[in-house]
Order: sequence, then C-alpha cells, then structure tokens
Amino acid sequence: MVLTSHFVALGLYALATVLVLAPFAGLRPAPRGLLLGVPIAGIAAHALGVTRLTPFMGVAPTLSMLALFLALFQVASEAAFRASAVAVFTGPLATGLVGLALLIGLVPEARPVAGRSPWSILHITISILGLAMLALAFIAAALYLLQFRELKAKRFGQVFRLFPPLERLDQLNHLSLVVGFPTVTLGVLLGFGVRYAGGVSVNAAQVVWGMLMWLVLGWAVGVRVVRHWAGRRAAFASIASFAAVLLVYLALKLTTPGTQRFL
Amino acid sequence: MSITVLGVNHRTAPLEVRERFAHAVGEVPQSLERVLAAGARGGVLLSTCNRTEFYLAEPDDAVPEAVWALLSERLGGAVGRSASEYGYIRRDRDAVRHLYRVSAGLDSMILGEPQIQGQVREAWDVSKPVAGPVLHRLFQSALLVGARVRSETGIATGAASAPSAAVAVAGKIFTQLAGRSALILGAGDIAELAATCLVAEGVRVTLVANRTYERAKAIAEELGARALPLDEAWDHFGDCDIVLSSTAAPHAVVTWDRVAPAIGRRGGRPLCILDLAVPRDVEPAVAQLENVFLYDLDDLQAVAAHAAAERRNDIPAAERIVTEEVERFWGWYGGLVVVPVLREFRERMEAVRAAELERALRRLPHLSPEDRDQIEYFSQALLNKFLHQPTVALKEAARAGRGYGLLDALKRLFGLERRDGT
Repeated sequence: MVLTSHFVALGLYALATVLVLAPFAGLRPAPRGLLLGVPIAGIAAHALGVTRLTPFMGVAPTLSMLALFLALFQVASEAAFRASAVAVFTGPLATGLVGLALLIGLVPEARPVAGRSPWSILHITISILGLAMLALAFIAAALYLLQFRELKAKRFGQVFRLFPPLERLDQLNHLSLVVGFPTVTLGVLLGFGVRYAGGVSVNAAQVVWGMLMWLVLGWAVGVRVVRHWAGRRAAFASIASFAAVLLVYLALKLTTPGTQRFL
Repeated sequence: MSITVLGVNHRTAPLEVRERFAHAVGEVPQSLERVLAAGARGGVLLSTCNRTEFYLAEPDDAVPEAVWALLSERLGGAVGRSASEYGYIRRDRDAVRHLYRVSAGLDSMILGEPQIQGQVREAWDVSKPVAGPVLHRLFQSALLVGARVRSETGIATGAASAPSAAVAVAGKIFTQLAGRSALILGAGDIAELAATCLVAEGVRVTLVANRTYERAKAIAEELGARALPLDEAWDHFGDCDIVLSSTAAPHAVVTWDRVAPAIGRRGGRPLCILDLAVPRDVEPAVAQLENVFLYDLDDLQAVAAHAAAERRNDIPAAERIVTEEVERFWGWYGGLVVVPVLREFRERMEAVRAAELERALRRLPHLSPEDRDQIEYFSQALLNKFLHQPTVALKEAARAGRGYGLLDALKRLFGLERRDGT
C-alpha cells in the first residue's frame, strides 16, 4: 500500500510537472483545472501512503513528507496566488524527493522505536512543514529574481509571459517566511522538549549548528518584517538563508552518514 | 434568397475615408431604412473605426447602388472618388465567412483583438428591428464563432498592440493594476490613449503634468486628475506606481538628476515608467535605478510583435473553425430555402396529377368505383415515385450546403420562379 501510493503519487507529480513545463516548450498551457487537479490527486495518493509510514524512521519517510508538503504548497500557490510557475521548482523537487525516497527504501510497517513518542512525531512533522515553507520562500525568491532580471533586461519571452507578477512573488515570499519561521521555531522547541524529556540522544554539533541556522533564518525574516526589506534585497536574503540551511544540513549528513536518521 | 455584405474596411480604404463612412449609433436606423427601401428583407449595419459594412438578406439588384450612393454622399467631394471604389461585395457563403472572420478578429487590424466582438453584438442589437430571421441567426452564430475561435485557439492571447502591451508590462510588475496611481507626462493624443487603456484596467490617473498648464488641465479634468506644470512633476516619482510619458520635447526631460532623489524615497516599491514619446522622454540611465522598470515605444512594440507572431501561428486553426461553422450555417440556411420550394413543387405536381386524373376518368365513365380507386392510387404512386429522387437529392444537397444550383434548376424547369415571384 505504501509503495503503491508512492508510485501513484510519483506518476501524478511527474505529470503535473510536465503540464507546468509544457508552455515553456512552446506548447499550449494546460487548463487550470488540470494544473490543480493532477497534483491534488497526487497529494491524495501520497497522503494515504505517508499515513502508513508513521512512526517516521530515517531519511526516506522524511523526504516523502517534505515532498508532500511541497506539493501541497504548490497547489496552494496556484489556488491563492495564481502562481503556477512555483510548480516549475516544486514539481520536479517533489517528484525527485518521492523518487529518492523510493530508491532509498520506504519501510511500510515500521517497527516501534524507543523515543518515537507522539511528541517526537509532532516535532518531525512540524519541522518538515517549516522546512517546506522555507523552501517555498526560496522558490518564490528565485522566481522573483528571474522575473526581475527579465523585466529589467526587457526580454519578453516565456519567463515574462508565464511567471506571475513581481509583486505577487514578493508577497508569496513574505508570507512563506513569516509563517515558515515560527513553524520551524516551534519544531525546534518541540525537538528540545523531546530531547530532554524523552532522553533522545542528539549530537552537540546538531544543536549548535541548528541554533545558528535558526538565527540566520531569523535574520532573513527580521529584515523583511522589522526593516521592511522588499523586492530584490529580500529575495537575496531569503535565498541566502535557505542556502545556508541546506549547506549545513549536507555538512552534518556528511559527518554522520546513514539513512536511519534524518539528522 | 441570398445574403450579401457590402462595405469598406481598413484594407480597402484609408482612415480619412473610413472616418467619413463611420456611423454613430443614432444614424444606423436611418441608413438601414434607406437601404432596405431599395429592396431587401433584412439588414444589419456594422460600423466601427475600421469598417462600415451592410449585411443584407435577399437584396434586390438595386441595393448595391443604394449602399454606394449612401456612402458616397457621406464622402462628399472630399476625395474625388465614389464609395464603391473603396468597397467590396461578398455574397452568400463568402458573406457568412466574412462576418465570422470579422467576429473572430481574423479580419481586424490587430489580429484577434477582442473589441470587435462587442461591436458586432452592438451592431446586431441596434439593427434588430430590421434584421430579419436570417440575419438574426447569422449574427447570433457569428458571436458564437468568435467566442469559439478565441477559446479554442491562441488568436486572442497576449498583448498585440502598444497600449495593450503597456498594460501587459505593468501587469507583470504589479499584482493588480486596479487602484494603482499613475502620473501622465505630456498631454498629447498618445498619452491620452495609453492613459485611457490604463484607466480601463482600474488605474487611477492622479496627476497630469505638461509644459502647457492649460492643456494639462483639460486632460486632467477628463481623467479626474490634478494638473501641474512639468517642472513640478519630478517629486511625484516618489509616490506614483506608473509614469506614462509622451511629451513633444525634442530631448529627454526625465533625467537621473531630476528623479533619482524622489525614487530613492520609494523604499523598494517598484516604479513602472512607460515612455511613449519619439524622441524618448526618459534618459536610459533612469532604468539603472533600483526597482525602476523603464520601457520605451520600441520595447512595447516588441511585446506586441511577439504576441502578434504567436497569434499568427493560430490562424490556420481559427480558419478551420470558421470554415466548419460556415458549412453548419449554410446547411441550416440551405434547408430553410429548400423547404418552401419543395412544398410548392409538390403542390404543383399534385395539382397536375389531380387535373389529369379527373380528365381521364371523365373519358372512362364505364369504370367501376374499385377500378377508379385503383387508377387514382396508381397516379399517386407514380407521382410519389417521380418526386422521391428529386426531393431526396435536393434535401441532401441543402444539408451539404450545395442546394442552390439544384434549386435554381428546379425553379426554372417547373416554372416555380414565376409563381413565387423570386
């Protein structure tokens, strides 16, 4: 069931990605109903598979859940912001993450693990949700910079035609950051609670680097909310902070390799 | 029966001629009445800045002359030529195809432009009392064809004119244009035209600045804005969202030095500057300022050309839809024409049969009632056999839109045209 759901989701996410990318290849844009309907069907199948994965163990389920949240945000961006171009990033990303999760190996019937309390699951879920929001902020910022460059350079090609207006991308970036940061913060706090209350061992390096990244993300949100940065500067800040998070994650994974733990 | 269109358009007549032919809505009934008096069963007058066309149902031979005479009167002696020299006539299928292409925007100056759809609807509405059932159906279907072409092809996608390109470019910077404030520099026709396009999208023109204050005031009053001298405009670059510039100045009037301080106060809010003047009003260096998006007429025409090129790719698909719909309409119209003629034909043949039967029976008084019935049955069966194939052939030809040739032959061979007066 888990594998079937994931394979169905993989196919539907791939189809949604093709539909979004088709106009960039000069083909006629797909109807909005399809742009929304296909990923929604994928999300439904995917959610069915993810619910069977709990309690989470290792990288593969985490990647799967991240893909699920990204697909959800893709649909939300299209529905609320008419920003189908977000799927240019989220589509391949969600497809790739599901594919990677399947390659690494999803465990359909996870064995109970010590310390995997409901609080632990909540910590993981909320942290991944926050991470997906920050990824959405990063994507909106990247789209903003691409559209900004095209508009400044007076290039009126596919990016000009198919990307949403600059202001809308800026709003999407702002919203994702402002909601994503508190979500990540809540995830971190729950993580502390799980560690000290549940006795789960956490590497000190993880704590130090995690706090540092939290501060970097806080800076990116702070310059937007407190110093009222907008547009290009805010987009750069958002991209820089998310890139820092990714780099630190990769560094930590390289120092403690293995697929049994996400961090 | 026939459908004819007579008129002029942007391909056959220059603007100074077309503007003389253009009818205000109030003039349409009078002109139509005059043309219909020359002999036609219905008429619609479609008059826009790019075309003046009379669509007529079953016009007599004298009608074209009446149309050209009417238009020539409007022309006066201004160009020393008669209206017919600028005009064209399309008949039957070609007339239907012409209207469908017009409604779909295939015959427009800017391919696929949407305004023509509304103009066709308005022409139909105004002419309804004298349009008649055939033109009523024709215009109704033309609107559906226009909508179908626009929805099934890309003929109406993108911004294919400079003013609409200006709107499209601004629409790629701001989430929505409604409620944005605009500053107009210059008070020429181009500025006014582009401002009208922006206002149609909900943009508020708040300021109009011009070297001649009185001219600025006149346009500002029209747009519900405030007028100010050009030299006082620079500070307002800090407040507005869109600047539309089209002065008659021979050199750049919007320079870095003049506007950079005001733009610096914007705090990252984007500013869209549309320079529609030739020579350009805005110094190119202004585009280097953060969050300033500057577009001149060449840029906007590039946007328009790009959209127009994409629209041209869809012409074959649009023409296929038009052809399909012309055949559908012609099938309906052909059927409409065939039914009364067939009825007349059968009645005529039935009258001949009855008369000949009566004469024959008079000469055969010795026949029993059963024998008389048999002979009557035989005559009816023979007539039905004779009429069956022509009836079927004519109905099939009508369904395929080819009924007219057969119909004419039938009328001539059996003298039907003398009776129905056509």
